Order: sequence, then structure tokens, then C-alpha cells
Amino acid sequence: MMKRASLGLALLLSTAALPAAAADLVLYDALDFAGHVAEAFTKATGVTVDVVEPGSTGETLGKIAAEGNNPQFDILWVDGSAVFERLMQDGSVQAIPADIAAAAKFNDLGKALMPASMAFIPTGASTTAIEVNTTKVAEADYPKSWADLAKFAGAVAAKDPNLSGPAYQWLAGFFQTNGVDAGKALLAEVLTNKDLSGLGSGGKINKAVLTGDAKVGINQDSSIIAKQVAGEPVVAVYPSEGSVALPEGLGIGAKSQHMEAVAKFIAFVTSPEGQAAMQDGDDTDFFFIPVIDGVKPKAERPAVTFITLDDKAASEHETEWKQWYKDSFVPQ
Amino acid sequence: MSWVDVPILAVFCLLIVLPLLSVLAQAVMPALFDPKAPGFGLDVSALDHALFAPRVLRSIWHSVELGAAVAVTATLTGGLFAALTQRFRLPLRALYAPVPWLVFLTPGYLKAMAWVLLMAPGGYLAQMGLLPHWGSDAFFGLGGLVLVHTLSLFPLPAFIIGSALTGLGQDIEDAARLSGAGPWRIWLRINLPLLLPAIALSLIATFAEVLSDFGLAATIARSAGFGVLTYGIYAAASDYPVDFPLAGAEALVLLTLILLVTLGDRLLRRQGALRLISGRSKPSQRHELGPWARWAWAAVIVAIGVLAIWLPLGVILVRAFTATLGAGLDQSNFTMANITQTLSPDAPALSSILRSFGYAALTALIAATIALILAARLDRAGPNLRASVTGLALGTIAIPGIVLGFGYILVWNRLPGFRDWPFPHYGQASLLVMGYVASALPYCLIIILTAVGQLAPSLTDAARLHGHGVAARLVKVVLPLVLLSVITAVLLTFIRTVFELPISQLLVPQTGSPVPPYVVRLLGHDDDGLASALALVCMVGAGAIAGLGWRVAQKHLTFAAKERPQ
Repeated sequence: MMKRASLGLALLLSTAALPAAAADLVLYDALDFAGHVAEAFTKATGVTVDVVEPGSTGETLGKIAAEGNNPQFDILWVDGSAVFERLMQDGSVQAIPADIAAAAKFNDLGKALMPASMAFIPTGASTTAIEVNTTKVAEADYPKSWADLAKFAGAVAAKDPNLSGPAYQWLAGFFQTNGVDAGKALLAEVLTNKDLSGLGSGGKINKAVLTGDAKVGINQDSSIIAKQVAGEPVVAVYPSEGSVALPEGLGIGAKSQHMEAVAKFIAFVTSPEGQAAMQDGDDTDFFFIPVIDGVKPKAERPAVTFITLDDKAASEHETEWKQWYKDSFVPQ
Repeated sequence: MSWVDVPILAVFCLLIVLPLLSVLAQAVMPALFDPKAPGFGLDVSALDHALFAPRVLRSIWHSVELGAAVAVTATLTGGLFAALTQRFRLPLRALYAPVPWLVFLTPGYLKAMAWVLLMAPGGYLAQMGLLPHWGSDAFFGLGGLVLVHTLSLFPLPAFIIGSALTGLGQDIEDAARLSGAGPWRIWLRINLPLLLPAIALSLIATFAEVLSDFGLAATIARSAGFGVLTYGIYAAASDYPVDFPLAGAEALVLLTLILLVTLGDRLLRRQGALRLISGRSKPSQRHELGPWARWAWAAVIVAIGVLAIWLPLGVILVRAFTATLGAGLDQSNFTMANITQTLSPDAPALSSILRSFGYAALTALIAATIALILAARLDRAGPNLRASVTGLALGTIAIPGIVLGFGYILVWNRLPGFRDWPFPHYGQASLLVMGYVASALPYCLIIILTAVGQLAPSLTDAARLHGHGVAARLVKVVLPLVLLSVITAVLLTFIRTVFELPISQLLVPQTGSPVPPYVVRLLGHDDDGLASALALVCMVGAGAIAGLGWRVAQKHLTFAAKERPQ
């Protein structure tokens, strides 16, 4: 009796573990809306998607690196353009076929963000801004530029580019606008508090700025806008040196066997229906700047003019600059 | 060794040795898994980097510093707990008796989560005005890590020192008392020296546990920027750009440290055989204390229990039923939303729980079955094979899950031959379950081997004379006799696996995440309400399943007393 009962219990539990039939598509991502969009996609087309979210952008890319020349995803959907260049060089993603790219109706920003290498297809964009706590800093004292951050030395929260995709895009863009040596010197002057300069996510920057541990933060603007919409006393200031666009891109796995389903997924994401699903939420990534013709951003998002990132320099120096940041500003 | 032993060794090689080697080999062969030009070239630069780079050196120092500090504090706490509960009659027993087991079965990262909710700058204690800002700062560093590790690991010394105390008996103490020694003198001059081997063993075991911990390393240590070796391995192997050779070199350093303390442990065990304890010792008695001392010591023990388990569980409970951390215990803050969201049929939380329960049940059955077959086989094997497999099993307990999981990715996604096998396959649940089995097998083997070792060989010999084959002897003779330990092994494996973090984190199947990485990810997104609800539902569910299994087993397995001739 006992044996039968425990065997029955075990079998009952084991059935829950039986591997479900493999889905038509495997999606790796580190974006808030990806799961929601995948659901809407399955509803619209009947094509099933396994959504794999290993954690931060860094952890997602790390998983892909561990998979090496045997990548397991059909589609990768993350923030950043330089990372895709690097993945293309490593043989983890393949070039977007010309017909798939041509089918998307991009607006001017979308056309500008489409890389020559075709390493990814842009689906939206955001940028990095200075997050200011309006209850701690008087409006007259708001920093206007990256250089102004020197006034807040020791009270600036920043993300470790080793952990965050958007943060690396910011670092590379910052070096482009302010110069590598001058940029390094400025950061050394500003980021003197390692408890604040090695944070792991936009949420942690928000927390540091909201609790007052930091007066200002360097954060993805959509993350600041999401907090603002939630009623928190923060505002995004765009630096006068210029903002580098941070595309959220969609790449295709180098060994994908499901190109037909991949094409369907990209067509859905770039359709009005897919764009609506990408805006149907209140978390950070839902506040992107659209790159598809005729699609409006969510009401709370301000317009930004962008300068384009030199992806080649950014991907060439990625390891070196990330290591420099880690050695200089991340607690040991 | 005969040909039948080959499968035993093959199982061990496949489950443990091969993954381990593929991690460690990279420390000296950095191009081994290079995606473009793999090769066997020898190069010690990664090892050199691991041993001399300031960041890595600091993480080695942090691990050793933390391990040494916790070894002392946990042994003191555990020793005190064991001495007080075993030797004195104290009130409020129900509040502390189950504490060591509950603490032992609650995973480190959940206790860490609870402590972060308590100690964070905007956390519960700060809200109640009980914690100044500097207290919170001090918590996110060595101090907090020592505190949480101590409260989390003291059951280990309590078990070790407790069983030594039981063995000590009453005779020697009585003799000392008759010679006029007071209670303090008896403890300091008689009991303490006799307990020294157990104390040393506790120090070593705790040190090794802290060194291989990943739960606190990935939560409190990570947010405090207190880098330790295990997290270093995870970061090197999973943060882009990855550095496999560095991960291999750090794993090599970690395993060498653990090997050194395990060797120390073996030396002590050998000495332990010389102890004075004899079968004729009178069992020890619980002493009565004066009313003041009685309540004072009870307060100490209850305080340990409250800090170690009741408070963390309470915090998880409160957080699971409240909307925000900031609004604290305000009445309007209480809500069922987190629980409802966890239990809603189409939310990812519930399916992660069902998945975890399923994987854990499957793991428990497979690991216990393999362990039973191995145990039966090993019991009849030569002493050399027995010693080497048992040694390997014990050694495996010391291998951090993070290293094993990383090895699994390398073997099953990269090694030609393995990566094309349909089953188990990287990215699928089959490989995750295999990783779980590998990490559970040593515990199962040790539990079941102890029971099988007590069976008289004549039993199976008789069955063989009656013409029963190997399988029939195992199922009809051995299994019924050791069923209680098999069930113990199954239930312990089930609970451990439901909450296993490092292997789950590295081998997340494409079909969906099991509970532990999901909880850690929610915490990373500051979604601690849902994380608490998920942890709570999972603990209640797993506890109910294990408790039910245990009750059923106990009810139906007490036949021994009935059948024994009077």
C-alpha cells in the first residue's frame, strides 16, 4: 500500500516533468516585453515559442558564449548594436536575409539603425540619460551635460557595462562624444563611490536615486520614464554632448533550422499588431522609441535626436573597455 | 575488479569525472573550447592570472576569510545549541527542537532574501526604527555574510557535536563530579577536550560549506560587491565576454582549497577511531537547572532558533502577503495579489513550481534507484572499489554545483559525440535532471549504503540458493529491508532538488525555468513580493509532499517491532 501510494505520488509528479514537445522557435531575450510579444505571436499565427530568459543582457550573452559554435536559439532579442557585431564575428548569429529586412517598413530612425553588416534588425530604440531626483536637486542645479556630472562626484549611480548591455552602449557612445582619454579622466573624477558605480541593473539605479544614496544616476531613459509614469520624483535629462541611440535588436541564430518561423516572427514584430504588443505594459522596455513607419511612442516618452554609434570601434574595444571599467569602478 | 564493476565506474565518469575534467582542463588548455580554433595547446597564463590578478586574489582571500570566520562562529553557535539542548532540561522545547532540521532544509538564498528584506536601507528593521543606516551598511559586507552563514550553517556543527556528546555518555562526568569538580570545570576540563575531534571536524566541514556556497554568493555577497570564488566562476563562465580559462583556473583553486580541508577531515577521522567512547557508557542525562539559569539559557536557544528560521520564515510570509516593501506592516499594504499571481494557472510562477516538483520527484526516484543498485553491488565488492567509490562520492559532495553545472554545458553542448546525442540533450529538461541526479547521488549513496551494510550476507545468499536472480534479490530481499532509508533518501533528495540553485541556473531548460533561478531573477528585478510568494508556496508544497510521504512511510514501516519474537 505504502509503496503503491508513494509510487503513485512520484509518478503523478513526474508527469509534470515530462518534456513538453519542442516549440517551433527558441527565443533568447532580456527585454520586458518579449514574453508578452511571443504570446501574442503564438495567438496570431499558431507558431509556438520557447522563451528563454537567463537574466540580464550580460547573462544572456554569457549563455550564448558558453554555447559557442553550437548556438541553441533561433532568435536573440536584446538591447545593443555593438554586441550583435561581436556575435556575428564569433559565428553566433547570421546576417538577416535581405528579403526579411526589406519587408519591414522602417521610419528614418529605423533605416539609420539598420547595420551594414545585417547582424541584427532594429525593433525599437532608447538611449541613456541622466536621472535626477527632483526632490534632492533643485532645477537650476540639474546637470546639462556629461561634463556637469563632475559637480556630483561621489553621488552618481552607474551601471557596470559588464552586467548590462545598455550600459556598454552608453560607455562606447560616451567615449565617442567625449573622447576616450578625456572620457576616462572624467569618469575617474565622477565615479569615486564604488558602492554606486558597479550596479547591476536599471532598477538598482532607480533605487539608489530614489532612496537618495545617489543624487543623480546614469540610466537607460526608458527606465527613468517608467518610474516617472509610476509617480516617482525623477526626471530624465539628455546631455548636451548628444545621445547615442541604443537599438533593441533582433538577431538570428547562426544554426537556426527554422528560418520560415523566424521570418514570420520578424514580420509579426514589425507589424502594427506586434508593435502594439510591445507597448502593452508599464515596465522599462515598453517605453521604446518606435522604428516602424507610422507607429507612435507611448504618450509619456519625449522625442530625442540621436547621433549614431561607431559600432566597429565599440565592438573592437569591448573587452578592453569593459575590463577597464571593472578594474576602475566595480567593487572588488 | 571484475567486468560488472565497469558500469559503476562508467556512471561516475559520465556524471561527475568528465564534466569536472572539462572545466579544470581549461585552466591549462585555454583553447580547448575556443569556438573558432579549438586546440590542446598548453598555456598557464589563465592560471597565472587566477593566482596573481588582484581581483581574483581578493575573491580567494574573501572566500577564505569568510570561511574561517563562519567556521568559528557556526561551530560556537552549533556547539552551544547541541550542549544546551542535549544536556539540560529547558522549557519551550517545541520552539527549538525542529530548528536544526528546518534550517538545514531551507536553502541559503531564501534565508538571504529574508535577511535582505529585514536589513536593507528601506527594509523592515529600518522602518521600525530598529536599524540605523550604518547598521544596514555593515550588513552588506563581511559582517552580514558571517551572520547569515552562521545562522544558516550552525545545524551542521550541532549535528556533529551533538552526536559526539551522545557518545560521551555520563560516566566520566559523574566521576569528575564525585571528585569535586563544579559544572563549569567539568565542561572546560573534561567534556571540551573529549569533544575536540568533533569540534575540529565541525570547523572543517563548515569551512568547506562556506567555500562552495553559491546561494549567498549570488545574493547578499553579489549586491554587497563582496566577490567570492564561486560567484567568480559563475561570472567568468556566464557574463559576456566569457572567460572559460579563468573559470577553469578559479575552479581549480576552489577545488584545491576544498581538497585540502577534506584531507584534514580524513586525518581527523582516523584519529577519531582512537576515542575513549565505549558501548558500556551510561547514556547521558538531561540536567535540571535553577529557575533563572533555566529560562536564561532557554532564551538563548530560542533566540538562535528565532534568528535562524522563525524570523526569516516570518519575513517571507509577511512579504508574500504585502504589496510593497516600503509600506511595511501597514494594514492597507496587506494583499493576496502575490499569492494569487503565483497560483494563477497561466502565470509562469505556478508552472515553474510544477516543473520543479516534477524534476525533483524524477531526480529523487532515479538517484535513489541508482544508489540502491550501486550500494547492493558495492556491499559485495572488494574493499578497494568500495573505498574508491565511497571516496569519490564524498569528494563529489564537496564539488560546488556551479562547477559541475558548467562542466555539463561544456560536455553536452560542445564535446563532439555528446552534443549530438538526443538524450540527454543540452537545453532540455533531460540534462537538468541528469545534473540534479549527479549532485544528489552521493547523499543517496551514503544514506542507502549505511543501511545495506547492516544486512547479513546470509539473507541474499539464501535467496540465491532458492534460485532468485540478481534483480529479484535486489527487489524482493534488499529493497524491503532497507525501504525506510531508501524513502529517507528519496524525500531528502526531493526537497534538496526543488531548491537547488547553481545547477538549475546553468542548465535552465528551454521549455521553462524551474523555481530557484526564477526566484533569484525576481529578486534581481526587485520583485521581492512575488519572489517571496513563490518561495512560500514552493516551501509549503514541497514540505507537504515530503511530510505526507514520511508519514505514510512511518505508518506502514513499523512492522519490525510487531514481528520480532518476544
